[in-house]
Amino acid sequence: MSGSAAVLPVFEHLNGLAAGLFLLTAFALVAVRQVQACLRIFIVQSVLLAASACIQAYSQEAVHLFILGWITLVTKAVLIPWLLRRTVRREVYVRREIAQVLNIPSSLLIAVALALFAYFIASPLLAVADGPFPRVNLPIGITGLLLGAYAVTVRREAIPQVLGILAMENGAFLAGVAIAPGLPLIAELAAAFDVLIIALVMGLLTRRIHERLGTTVVGEMASLKED
Amino acid sequence: MARNILFNVIQVLVVMALAPLATGILARFKERIQSRRGPSVFQPYRDIWKLFHKDEVVPEQSSWIFRATPYVVFVAPIFVALLIPVLTRYPLFFAFMGDMLGGGFVLALAGFFSTLAAVDSGNPYGPMGASRTRMVGFLAEPVFMIVFFTVSFIAGSTIPYIVHKHWVTPLSNFIAPSHVLLMIAFVMLILAETGRLPVDNPSGHFELAMIDESKSLEYSGRGAALMKWGSCMRFFVLCCIFLNVLVTPWGLTAGETTEAVLLAVPLVLAKVIGFVVVIAVIESSVAKLRLFRITEFLGAALVTSLAAMITRFLES
Amino acid sequence: MELFAILALPALAAGLALVPARRALAAASTVLASVAVLVLAIRVALATAGGRPVVAVASWIACDGLGALVLLLIAFVAVTSSIFSWGYLSRIVDAGKGPKLRRYYSHFNLFLLSMLAVPILAQVALVWIAVELTTLLSVFLVGFEGTAAALEAAWKYVVLTCMGAAIALIGILLLFWGMTTAGGGPFSWSNLVAAAPRMSPALLKTAFLFVLVGFGAKVGLVPLHGWLPDAHSQAPSPVCALLSGVETTTVLYVILRLLPVLQAGESASTWLVAFGLVSVGAAAFLLLQVRDYKRLFAFSTIEHMGIIMVAAGLGGPAAQASAAWQMLSHALAKSFCFFAAGAVLLAVGTRDIASVRGLMRNSPVAGIALLVAGLAISGAPPFAVFLSELSIFRAGIAGDHLAAVGLLALFVVIAFCGVMQQVNRMVFGMPPSTTAVPLPRSCVASLAMAAVPMLALGLYVPPALERLLGLAGTALGR
Repeated sequence: MSGSAAVLPVFEHLNGLAAGLFLLTAFALVAVRQVQACLRIFIVQSVLLAASACIQAYSQEAVHLFILGWITLVTKAVLIPWLLRRTVRREVYVRREIAQVLNIPSSLLIAVALALFAYFIASPLLAVADGPFPRVNLPIGITGLLLGAYAVTVRREAIPQVLGILAMENGAFLAGVAIAPGLPLIAELAAAFDVLIIALVMGLLTRRIHERLGTTVVGEMASLKED
Repeated sequence: MARNILFNVIQVLVVMALAPLATGILARFKERIQSRRGPSVFQPYRDIWKLFHKDEVVPEQSSWIFRATPYVVFVAPIFVALLIPVLTRYPLFFAFMGDMLGGGFVLALAGFFSTLAAVDSGNPYGPMGASRTRMVGFLAEPVFMIVFFTVSFIAGSTIPYIVHKHWVTPLSNFIAPSHVLLMIAFVMLILAETGRLPVDNPSGHFELAMIDESKSLEYSGRGAALMKWGSCMRFFVLCCIFLNVLVTPWGLTAGETTEAVLLAVPLVLAKVIGFVVVIAVIESSVAKLRLFRITEFLGAALVTSLAAMITRFLES
Repeated sequence: MELFAILALPALAAGLALVPARRALAAASTVLASVAVLVLAIRVALATAGGRPVVAVASWIACDGLGALVLLLIAFVAVTSSIFSWGYLSRIVDAGKGPKLRRYYSHFNLFLLSMLAVPILAQVALVWIAVELTTLLSVFLVGFEGTAAALEAAWKYVVLTCMGAAIALIGILLLFWGMTTAGGGPFSWSNLVAAAPRMSPALLKTAFLFVLVGFGAKVGLVPLHGWLPDAHSQAPSPVCALLSGVETTTVLYVILRLLPVLQAGESASTWLVAFGLVSVGAAAFLLLQVRDYKRLFAFSTIEHMGIIMVAAGLGGPAAQASAAWQMLSHALAKSFCFFAAGAVLLAVGTRDIASVRGLMRNSPVAGIALLVAGLAISGAPPFAVFLSELSIFRAGIAGDHLAAVGLLALFVVIAFCGVMQQVNRMVFGMPPSTTAVPLPRSCVASLAMAAVPMLALGLYVPPALERLLGLAGTALGR
């Protein structure tokens, strides 16, 4: 259980740093214009998630958090980008501008509002928190979740939507590392595997859409309606 | 007390003397990164000296604003230099004359005057550049405010010396997330306010694309010298605010003797040069932003500073 | 023991389906595997109804009353659906495309496996993974036909459902956190219910809301239902039967399992009733404007999920038992509806309601099937859905929730009118042309098989089943 032993301030600060930069990448996911940049930001976000897990593992001497950190690093920072690049044709990535519903400054303002909303959701829960890690990871994890969801709604392209969903899972994991470190290892392994399958399935589906429709601007697929 | 006044005067003289050097080093280093030789680091001194010895030509239709602006632009950073920690860690004689908001307003006053002078000059490119500068300025103001608010809230005061003591002196604070995020936001702000890439190209000559440079297009002789020196000092003062108040107290002296204060001069200069190198690297790595993308750049700075504020509140 | 076998059989069938052999091998192995699973599921249900919950690995793989009911439903619809697939796919997949057919069956079996895992797994975190897998393994089934519309439906399906799953993940992690601070122990359903009184109410409420919103997107709660009519109409009909009939029920099972965890019963049940009524109402009104008869049935699914939620939210043993009954009758009736829709599609070749007329004369089997399907799903006697809806109304009136019951009855009547109007237009009248396409025998057999319990349970409920429903009901409340 977290919090039973005193946590050294340097670990607290390092974890806070990783979480703060994670928050920044969550905002950046909404603000960039190119598909390649989205992918790079996702990789950075996953590395920060793994770093937070490893810092907490080191300070609490929890071995399975270490394992989770390394698994996260390998699956999300290495395997998933490789999968996404392999399953979808290269020309999708070379696109310079992503079609969006709102322009970027308005998106950033809404993103800030969502971050504050996440903070308000999380603050009554923090009353039960013992230890410094849940206090930082839980609100930022929920923010990552909400910003990922917002990125999915506002982008009209396939790959940024996939990355938005994976970013939502990143946010949930960031919160989970601090509040649920004792989750059985099988569950954590299965969850990591599951994220890989998400990337695989969505990548293959994007490829089929690209082959069939010639474009991956999924926001334009709106033929199924009542009229 | 006499000593405090003396140190304050030394502080201002140091800012006046070393500001062109910082700009010179920045230009030289940027050229070096791009595999060119670049001008000598003392070139800005030579330029200012040359300009002081030239005749001044003033547009006929311009008013007193045009003539007064170089003096305002020259004096404003000096005034701000009285307020901020440049050489010492403890407050000097004029330290309580104004706080960070006051310093911000004084710098904004200089910007206001130079904008008006650009419109006053009658040059068609002047108002164009002036309106663009205003756009950048009004988007940068919220970032300034949020940065200052965050640091002042923690320190309980808006005086730079007190903020500096609470914010950076505990060394473990350096890797705190709010600290890192504020540093990133403020660097973006410095790039925008001093007209560096990616916001504006300081070495460009194409008037249609100028944002900051166009404000001093019409000046010549002594006016141009004062404008140039003033903008160098503005850059130096913003660097000092960033480095000494927000980043680290290294180099500032806690001693009360004149020797200690004079010893701090090369240390602070080394710190500024280090930062100047970082800015040169940033400038050489990015392309200039399209005009309306600047709003996104400053929006990103705003969001970063808000994220810093949020994480600060989460920690406490 | 049976539980392990239930999980192993579809995996085996999926592997067999990939073997490049005669087309019949994949189909036959699927049917055999699902029949075997049904037999095992009946055994588990009987054991549970007799009062002995089946436990294979304590706190990891176990099955109680509600789980056994859901297991039974999945198994039954799996059997009818795999029989229907045999004939249906032989019509829609051309003779040369063997690999496509085999891919269908392997995906089918894997999808089945993931659905079967949900009621069997007692570890809550693994249940989340199983629910996520049901989405991922059915994406290619939804987009099977490869048309632009099918791919669009598959994309919306996977995006909205994965978003919901991520939101539900945080809810489950919050529950785990609450449990560890309240005393720890393995993270199983029963442990969670036992530890609930010691957890902070704010935490429980927030976690429940996250799970409700997240998995509610998968169940088809309005306003997160946008993907459901598309996905459940573009998929091939046997897959639609599985998706509409049992998959939504399975995910709703996960949400309803959390009901007893919420202690202050009041707020959770009010939310469920409110959300449920909004879903039923919206679905009833949206039903009136559809142009595609598969979308008609898909909206009906949304409506029935709302009815189950309202019933579970009303509280009390009678309402809870009738919620379980509604799950049962809906699964049976909805799968029959989609088989009927598939038969109609094979007979006339179009999904558009306006171009289908006079089915009774054209293709009598399809016409009768569609008529029966429409009557069954909108709650006409003597079908099972009528009895279960009646018992919900009775329980609601007895518990004094007159406003909720009144609204529910109104919406059900509106939906009845909507469905029957479209069905009547399609079934009666003069057909545009008299080409009668005979249906494959397996489709007809499957239709008959699916119709029997639907009709029989509307007339007589065997005592074992009644005990099972009662037990299932107790798992829904305190």
